[in-house]
Amino acid sequence: MENSILSLLQLCDSNFPTGAFSHSYGLESYIQENKVHNQETFSEWLRVYLNEQLIFSDGLACHLVYQALEEESLQKVWKLDRLLTVQNLPRETREGTQRIGERMLNLVESLYDAPILSIYRKRIGAKQSFGHPAIVFTMIAQYLKVSKAETTLFYLYSVVSSLVQNAVRAIPLGQTAGQKIIHQIQGDLAKATTTIGQLDEEDFGIVSPGLELSQMMHERINIRIFMS
Amino acid sequence: MGDWTGALNLEVEDRKGKTVAKKVYFQGALKVMRPIYHDESGQACYYLLNPGGGYLDGDRYQMKISLAEKAKLTLTTQSATKVYKTPNNFAYQEAEISLQPGSYLEYLPDPLIAYQNAKYKQKNVIRMDKTATFLYSDIVTPGWSPDGERFSYQAVQLLNEIYVDNELVVYDHIRLNPATQNMKGLGFMEGFSHLGSMIVVGKQTNSSLLDQLYLAIDMNSDEYRLGLSLLSVPGLTIRVLANSTQVIEKLFSEFHRMVSQKWFNTEPSFLRKY
Repeated sequence: MENSILSLLQLCDSNFPTGAFSHSYGLESYIQENKVHNQETFSEWLRVYLNEQLIFSDGLACHLVYQALEEESLQKVWKLDRLLTVQNLPRETREGTQRIGERMLNLVESLYDAPILSIYRKRIGAKQSFGHPAIVFTMIAQYLKVSKAETTLFYLYSVVSSLVQNAVRAIPLGQTAGQKIIHQIQGDLAKATTTIGQLDEEDFGIVSPGLELSQMMHERINIRIFMS
Repeated sequence: MGDWTGALNLEVEDRKGKTVAKKVYFQGALKVMRPIYHDESGQACYYLLNPGGGYLDGDRYQMKISLAEKAKLTLTTQSATKVYKTPNNFAYQEAEISLQPGSYLEYLPDPLIAYQNAKYKQKNVIRMDKTATFLYSDIVTPGWSPDGERFSYQAVQLLNEIYVDNELVVYDHIRLNPATQNMKGLGFMEGFSHLGSMIVVGKQTNSSLLDQLYLAIDMNSDEYRLGLSLLSVPGLTIRVLANSTQVIEKLFSEFHRMVSQKWFNTEPSFLRKY
């Protein structure tokens, strides 16, 4: 399938309506405390979020789900769906991610008839699974025969680019500053993908305390533009 | 894997309203003292002891704790767990906890002190019935180091897995890695040195409990940074960053008191140790 990369790019577009634009994953807590207030401080937050949380959760999940799909071991996929959800201790980010997962699933189901999608949707409907965007994304990528490493890399890119768009609105930053950040972080995304390839299940769900705490604290922020 | 530096197996049950030991077995550098009954509730309190005085290179500790139906137990340590330098292999501790219907466990160890060049891993696996209640806290503190560096330990990794009716419901995985991370930076310890975590799982949990806990604390304090959140099952989790054990202990004992009062209409006992 020569256009498989193009197909996956559609899911990475920050206009792809999954609702990711409503979630800051704790960034808004730092913005309100004025700890993140410009291009430099946002880039610092973004790198920490990528390297100290995202690679051990969503990133590692892409890698492991891809493997499980190749082995046709669906039980492993459902296990990772649960792990991804229960390792996410802050309620807002956990529930927000679930909603994004469900919306993404409904969207891609209207674009592709990969049987795995309806199996996943039925499980979510029956409350046997929770729903997670990293899993939906990997299901589509594997269906499109995109490689495992590219799947992980593209997923990380999609998360980062929508976070940058959110930061541009919330901090605010100029559009050019936003594009510079996306440009500068590309090397980090490639490095993160390599790191993820070397992790194993033992590393799953590691989070640094500050990031997680800011996600919990977001629950009590009075004036907010994001749901997490 | 059977080669433990210290191992403990403790099974307790309820006999006519009093929680008593059904089986107590320990070997090596891990012990429990005779149970203490702090009040008339029948709830037993066991103090764990590490006769070796600290965890050293490659030490491995194992605990198996089991509460039969309606048993009520407080499990704590006699003093802080000290992890000294581990030049070759990390020190390791695992706990397997089983909570039968209606049982209640408070597992409240003293702080973990990680000294210079210490590497430590801890894994707690809790399997509980949905009618059981589990209350847990831990505190990680940096030990004194000759050059005054606050984070002189190499790595501390803490994993809590909680299963309710055989379904994984909490996977709490923290790793502090001063050897490779900028602990003072944004997103890590946010300028603090001590990390406290508390987990409560119990069917009585609801959002009004969360509101009450929030009301009891000053979210604008400079002494600590605190977050709390509801789990995906009835229960909640709390994280605190602070610069002293006392600040975290004070917050946790207040939360503990509120939970005990609301759920069991009791006051927690003062775990006098010194």
